Amino acid sequence: MKTIAFILTVWCLAAACATPPPISVDEALTAGNDEKMLWRRAQEEQKVIDNSGWLYRNAELETYLNEVAAKLQAFTDSPDISFKIKIINDPNLNAFAFPNGVIYVHTGVLAHMENEAQLAALLAHEMTHCTHRHSLRVLKTLKDRPRYMAAVQQSVEKIAMAQDLARLLGVNGSMAAVTGYTRELEAEADRVGLDLMAKAGYDPRQALNLFEHLRQEIEIEGIKEPFFFGTHPSVQQRIENAGRWLATEYSAQNTGLINSDIFRFKLDKLVLDNAQLDLRIGRFYIARRSVEKFLLLNPNDAGAYYLLGEIFRQHGELDDIQNAIKQYEKAIALDPSFPAPHKAMGLMHYKGGEQRLAQKFFETCLLLAPEAPDKAYIQGYLQKCITNGEES
Amino acid sequence: MKKLLPLFFAVCLISGCASAAYERSLEDLPKADFSVDIPSGWWKPQHVNRYLITKEGPFLQYVLIQQRPIDRPFKKTQKKLRNGMLPLESAKIVIDEIAADRNILNFNILENTPATIDGHAGFKILFSYRDKKGSEYKTLYYGFISGDSLFNLRYNAAARHYYDKDLADFMRILYSFKLVKA
Repeated sequence: MKTIAFILTVWCLAAACATPPPISVDEALTAGNDEKMLWRRAQEEQKVIDNSGWLYRNAELETYLNEVAAKLQAFTDSPDISFKIKIINDPNLNAFAFPNGVIYVHTGVLAHMENEAQLAALLAHEMTHCTHRHSLRVLKTLKDRPRYMAAVQQSVEKIAMAQDLARLLGVNGSMAAVTGYTRELEAEADRVGLDLMAKAGYDPRQALNLFEHLRQEIEIEGIKEPFFFGTHPSVQQRIENAGRWLATEYSAQNTGLINSDIFRFKLDKLVLDNAQLDLRIGRFYIARRSVEKFLLLNPNDAGAYYLLGEIFRQHGELDDIQNAIKQYEKAIALDPSFPAPHKAMGLMHYKGGEQRLAQKFFETCLLLAPEAPDKAYIQGYLQKCITNGEES
Repeated sequence: MKKLLPLFFAVCLISGCASAAYERSLEDLPKADFSVDIPSGWWKPQHVNRYLITKEGPFLQYVLIQQRPIDRPFKKTQKKLRNGMLPLESAKIVIDEIAADRNILNFNILENTPATIDGHAGFKILFSYRDKKGSEYKTLYYGFISGDSLFNLRYNAAARHYYDKDLADFMRILYSFKLVKA
């Protein structure tokens, strides 16, 4: 609550410095002190994120995302914004833009996209926040401050993880990532973003597919923190808007670039990495679906079978144990030198009282990974297996 | 007016000392199903309603002891602790919970090993992290499951100077830890 109070206080102070006239989209960038202040603050907040250890490091993938952004930027009226797309290691469905053109996309939202056109839809939306200077427009029109503040406060309070994120991001980031801009500005970003992706040659219908696909994910998993949709126009409203625009203004454009294959190839590893993040926060079902999606394209990946086994084992209900064993066995068959599934099999047999079997797997695990970070545990369990074996 | 100023400052100073003296005690530690010996110099901050003690303030170092029902949901992960879990498994859930916390930047596990606490098989995790301001902290976290509870003893301190300085005190507290059977 203190953080939110802090954010609100800073916004109040910032608003007090601002002059009321609305800003023109065409006004030169960095023209005024307010905008300079926003950019300076954005840079400070980005420094915190970039040094937080939360960034997903994959140079090739970042290059790919930035290439898609560059394709879109060619059709904006803001060639002077230096867009930079970065990836955050976070399974939540989110993306947010700072006013200076730096856009952060969560692994969670990337992992659940199907093609490059959907990526273009998301990036075009976020880029519009920058090109149409939404941060500055919010700042300049805060004469309606009490209502806006109340809305920000309500939005943040609704989102359980918001306080943590607000602490990390600061003022600019909190508005972009947690509360969203105003409903009108978000709708504008959807509308202009759709136009931008269409001009860049992408199939605009994929924007609608993205919204619908993400809505399904949210509903299936019962996700309570869908930031991208949390306070933006409701997902249903968004789908209706996009559907109406597609049926009217883009009715003739029922084709365009989709680029599924290159997208899947570039994001292959991220899908698996994000599944690990979903597993970490206990979203077992969504993690499982992601690994299964990965396995469709990589049917011989031992790591993916091991992860699937972990999802079953850690879920630990009904048939999960048998399913876990099947996945570990596949992982071992594909790569017998991979130590992790041996350890997992050892743990399962150890807990099941099958000490001899457990001993065999633990010994193999330690042979393959004598310096494993958790070797002290394995050595301890192995010792008990040996002792119990001798006693019996 | 000038004559009143020293008097005003004196009153502030005296009330400040009085309040500090009141705060620096262990009197209002909550009742718990365990007992520990606390070395001299440690006190419980008045505003904290937990079994938390410090020497120079919680931002520099603290020891937190918790009895956590295993069915109480974690804040970040939906994973659940279960009776009969191996220490390796319960340590993993604790690590997952911490790693998903946005306040913990540059989270780095330095050690994750089995440990025995009051005769109970448990785990020991040593990790470092930074806060948003860039200050580095180290946390030593011991835990074990007994009955329907996860008992944990945490020592958190600024990595520079304070962690090493008060580690011995924490180890004394840890070795003195005893479950008190109801």
